[in-house]
Amino acid sequence: MTAQLPQNPGPGPDLQGPVGPAPAVAPAQSTSELEPTAAPAPQGAPAIELINAARWYGNVVAVNDLSFSLGAGVTGLLGPNGAGKTTLLHMLAGFLAPSAGTVHVLGRSPNRDPSVYRQIGLVPEREAVYPFLTGFEYVRFNARLQGMRDSDQAARDAILRVGLEDAMDRPIGTYSKGMRQRAKVAGALVHDPQVLLLDEPFNGMDPRQRLAMMELLGQMASAGRTILFSSHILEEVERVGNDILVMVAGRLAASGDYRAIRALMTDRPHTITIRSSDDRRLGWALMADPTVFGVELGTDNLTVKTAQLSAFRRLIAGASRTAGVRLFEVVSGDESLESVFDYLVRR
Amino acid sequence: MMFKRSLAAVPLMGRITLRQLLGRRRTILLLLLAAIPVLLAIVFRAANDADLEGFASGVLDAVAVTLLLPIVAVLFGTAAFGAEIEDGTILYLLAKPISRWAVIAAKFIGAAGVTALLVLLSVLVSGAVVLSPLGEQGAEATRAFLAAMLVGSTCYVAVFLTLSLFTRRALLIGLVYVLVWEGALSALLPGIANLSIRQYALGVANAFWQMKPDEARLSPSTALPLAIILVVAALAIATWKLMRFELPGGTD
Repeated sequence: MTAQLPQNPGPGPDLQGPVGPAPAVAPAQSTSELEPTAAPAPQGAPAIELINAARWYGNVVAVNDLSFSLGAGVTGLLGPNGAGKTTLLHMLAGFLAPSAGTVHVLGRSPNRDPSVYRQIGLVPEREAVYPFLTGFEYVRFNARLQGMRDSDQAARDAILRVGLEDAMDRPIGTYSKGMRQRAKVAGALVHDPQVLLLDEPFNGMDPRQRLAMMELLGQMASAGRTILFSSHILEEVERVGNDILVMVAGRLAASGDYRAIRALMTDRPHTITIRSSDDRRLGWALMADPTVFGVELGTDNLTVKTAQLSAFRRLIAGASRTAGVRLFEVVSGDESLESVFDYLVRR
Repeated sequence: MMFKRSLAAVPLMGRITLRQLLGRRRTILLLLLAAIPVLLAIVFRAANDADLEGFASGVLDAVAVTLLLPIVAVLFGTAAFGAEIEDGTILYLLAKPISRWAVIAAKFIGAAGVTALLVLLSVLVSGAVVLSPLGEQGAEATRAFLAAMLVGSTCYVAVFLTLSLFTRRALLIGLVYVLVWEGALSALLPGIANLSIRQYALGVANAFWQMKPDEARLSPSTALPLAIILVVAALAIATWKLMRFELPGGTD
């Protein structure tokens, strides 16, 4: 996914745009456990593709003019409350028809063609799961509805993958929130879908379970699956992968690798913290360069502001050598996803 | 392949529907309701054990067909989808490679089955208490009301299940239909018999036992086709609606 950042400040029409050529869809899943399925997506087509997709309710625009495509890998869907994340996921899952534009998953329109669910796994945000079923019964139920031949084995495998084996024979009604969440994920991936859509999948999980789930999503992405998950916890997104879609007020504010997005944010200076053998001397040396427009001397470090990070990286080496200063540490302080997200939301 | 898979999914989803519908509180409430005709039959038997017409009209028609049947049907019929749409579990059925007609069929069979079971049991026991001593006549009357309950369960559940896909207030609208349309208006306006499920049910019962003309206004040959058309049309509309199912709106 190529990083894209709108040039115009503020959420305007120019904020939207295709992400660019998406990687080809990974080879179709093995269907040895499945009955023959519907025709696979066309070779080379993106797994998920939106073209000028919009959805509105009366006068309220929930999402507007979204265009992007996703191939294999994990993509985090970010945005403040009310940004349209869940609406987007529901459109992709086929439970909201676009008011305008097109939404394709594996080359098909999910709200018109139930056969596409053979290749889609969905974890909705809402917690409710049939409370009278055990975890195993619930996952097996999903496997059977998917037409899997050995649904018992498939259910056991999926439960193992989410680490729910100790509780699989208990009714879901007795589960904690995190356990219910894992049961939902097991139900969604029991048929090894090509596309996995997850709405706040880490909700209610403890840190250990979160890590395990992140690892699982990473493994699935490595195996060529397309995974799109929404989260409001930036750390989660940062840990699972680098690719993000950022939605603000129903529009796509940015998409791609968040570090690349950060590099495109030229109207916001990069802040770099440096520790050296002589911070004052180094500060003087750096101030002479036109790419540096701010130097602040701290008690034990130097903070530099520059608009061009790559140019600064070249500069710092030469400047320290010329000034006869030894560098101990150079840290780019605002390269985090949090910083990128904060910038995009405030634009 | 899709058809075969969808067909195979009907009993699976039907079982889930049954387990959802037979929650403890709802089951206890409805069992208590179903016990009312039986209790009345016991009282009737103790007071007057030979009045076939009186029991059929006063208990089986006025209580079982007019009140018990539609109330049980509206509770099960609207809950079959209503609860799942409300709590979002419907997604676990719809996000599957299964035709929508199969989901409707499973819900319908589950809700109509449990409704019919409950009301048929109620009529059977009531009939056994009062009508069995009356010989063949009593047996005919019991068969007639069992047929009425079967037809009524099927029609009411089809209509209420479909209604629940269009509005969250299906239970309220269903109760208003039962009490106002079927309870009050159909008594005042005999002309609307063709649009009354209760009349379809009693019309079919006419095939087994001659009902009073002012109670059962339709002949079996009219009532049965109307009932079949209603069920088929309702389920077709429900399938059409489910194919266009959308999650409730929002901005996130």
